[in-house]
Amino acid sequence: MPKIITDQNLRLLIDTLVGEGKRVIGPKAAGTLTLYEPLASAEELSLGELPRRSAKETFFPLCENILTYEKSSSGTTVHDIDPARFPETVLIGARPCDVAAAPVLDAIFSWDFKDEFFLERRRKTTIIGLACTTADDACFCTAVGLSPADTRGSDLFLTPLAGGSYRCDVISDKGEALLAAHAGLFAETDTAEPVSLAEPQLGPLDLDRIKAWLDTHFEDPLWEEIAARCAGCGACAFLCPACHCFDISDEGSEKQGARRKHWDACGFGKFTYHASGHNPREVQPHRYRNRIMHKFKYYHDKFGQRLCTGCGRCIRACPVGIDIAQIIDDINRK
Amino acid sequence: MTNTAHTIDTALYDAVTDALRAEAKKVLESGTAAAVIGWQAGRRRGSAVPAIVTDPADAEKLIFSPSCVNNLALYLTKAKKEVREKGKLAVVAKGCDMKALAGLMGENQLKRDDVYIIGVACAGVYGPAIRGNAPLDDGTLARKCRECAAELPEGADVSLGTVPRRPAFTPHEAAELARLEAMTPAERWAFWKEHFSRCIRCYACRQVCPFCYCEQCLCDRNRPQAVETTPRPAGNMAWHMVRAMHLAGRCAGCAECERACPMDIPLNLLNRKMAKELKELYGHEAGFQAKEKGPLAEYREDDNQSFIK
Repeated sequence: MPKIITDQNLRLLIDTLVGEGKRVIGPKAAGTLTLYEPLASAEELSLGELPRRSAKETFFPLCENILTYEKSSSGTTVHDIDPARFPETVLIGARPCDVAAAPVLDAIFSWDFKDEFFLERRRKTTIIGLACTTADDACFCTAVGLSPADTRGSDLFLTPLAGGSYRCDVISDKGEALLAAHAGLFAETDTAEPVSLAEPQLGPLDLDRIKAWLDTHFEDPLWEEIAARCAGCGACAFLCPACHCFDISDEGSEKQGARRKHWDACGFGKFTYHASGHNPREVQPHRYRNRIMHKFKYYHDKFGQRLCTGCGRCIRACPVGIDIAQIIDDINRK
Repeated sequence: MTNTAHTIDTALYDAVTDALRAEAKKVLESGTAAAVIGWQAGRRRGSAVPAIVTDPADAEKLIFSPSCVNNLALYLTKAKKEVREKGKLAVVAKGCDMKALAGLMGENQLKRDDVYIIGVACAGVYGPAIRGNAPLDDGTLARKCRECAAELPEGADVSLGTVPRRPAFTPHEAAELARLEAMTPAERWAFWKEHFSRCIRCYACRQVCPFCYCEQCLCDRNRPQAVETTPRPAGNMAWHMVRAMHLAGRCAGCAECERACPMDIPLNLLNRKMAKELKELYGHEAGFQAKEKGPLAEYREDDNQSFIK
């Protein structure tokens, strides 16, 4: 049975969680843009704009130490990072396209190697998703089987109601527990009407048909047509909620330093550059092909999921206007 | 409310589009070039994207509009070898893009005879996130265009269109530069530190820059590591300083780095500052003429050395 929470009580919930010492992450104004960042108080919550970067950083930071070292006359000391010390977190006001990426990422980070850094943060995070009331012409969640009200990955899900309150649906046990712990802030549902939700332009695409085409078109003139203009930056991958490639770098001096895990991107020319000097993805069309194949074929082959949630960030950010929605739409018509 | 006194007449763009299609068709049919690099409409309303046209029949796809923001000189560099392999290239160039082409010729990255340049008169392009049929005015014009003096490219093989009388816009970059210069060094340091703290090292700034054609970027080196590659304050600051120094006197002012930055870092402000320094110290600025060597690539007895303290 859904509950109702007023905007005032939602903000009270944030302040209460912050007061309890939890890390509360939500959309926050940061200069000219909005980012998912830790909130010091409910006042900082800014729900108007889609954050420029996705919410994946809640579990998969842009850059994190995985160990540090110090050298002294008595030898070298290595300090492991203890994931048990990661804070309890509530991610609030995250868009369905961001939240739906969390279960997609679970698959890769818990596959043959269990990535404790990611998994521990995931275990400790409760996600309160928020339905979208606006969409621009880069939004295409509807094309990849999601919607502005998709609850996939959320623990609690908010739908804006006329008058400023939210309907709150419980999606998981984690959500149930959070709601139970703050039951006083929620009321029983009444007849309040949801406000109209966003309507992205693209209708559902036949993702199986797209995959079937990709299965047989590793070589195709399409890759050259689309990707000769790709500039080879990592903006699409870095802003994507589902892209998860990372590199590991050792940085520091001979006295002290850190081993760091940080985002990487298949668009970069050096991404597949071998120590031998050979690069199996020599030119940009090969690299961009990998991006599409990974999202709509390889990830499905391996994990039965698609590596794209239709947030449109790659489309908005691409300096040369590469439009993944158009590409899969075109493939769907082939 | 639109301030008509500060609105640019956009009829120019339709006239250039017609001329551009005819020129591209002629160039491809005559074999003057194997491919024409221009812009075509994108899926999103009013958007334009780079296009590489090889079939004369596709010349009809080409457009010129205030959404044609890209500097296409990028596709003539060795960073885009798959494009260069198509054969002799024709490229469409706005004034600011023409300066980049001249710079690449000066640096022996491009031979004048190997490229056919279709210059287009340009009254300005849109700033970030503006598309569609928005009027080109105070609110929508890209910052770099407000004080542009390169509306007509010089040195092209053919020039299309004439620039309408443009209203005088309040300069943005000069004003921002003045604001920056009025700061104390500590304030300036804080200003850039704050901006660079947002950098995610996606390298969109590097990848869209026609002058960032190095096959081995210093910032990708890890044995030994010259600049920290992780998106943290020290490496970010170092990366942007390295880039500013490398571009000093070379940057043509297309502001593609700033446009491409997903984190809204005002990178062209840094480039403008460096360009100003180079002009004051060496009387050098990027222009339409290919110069063999920039001031930081040559030594002269009479070089200004006042900055050595």
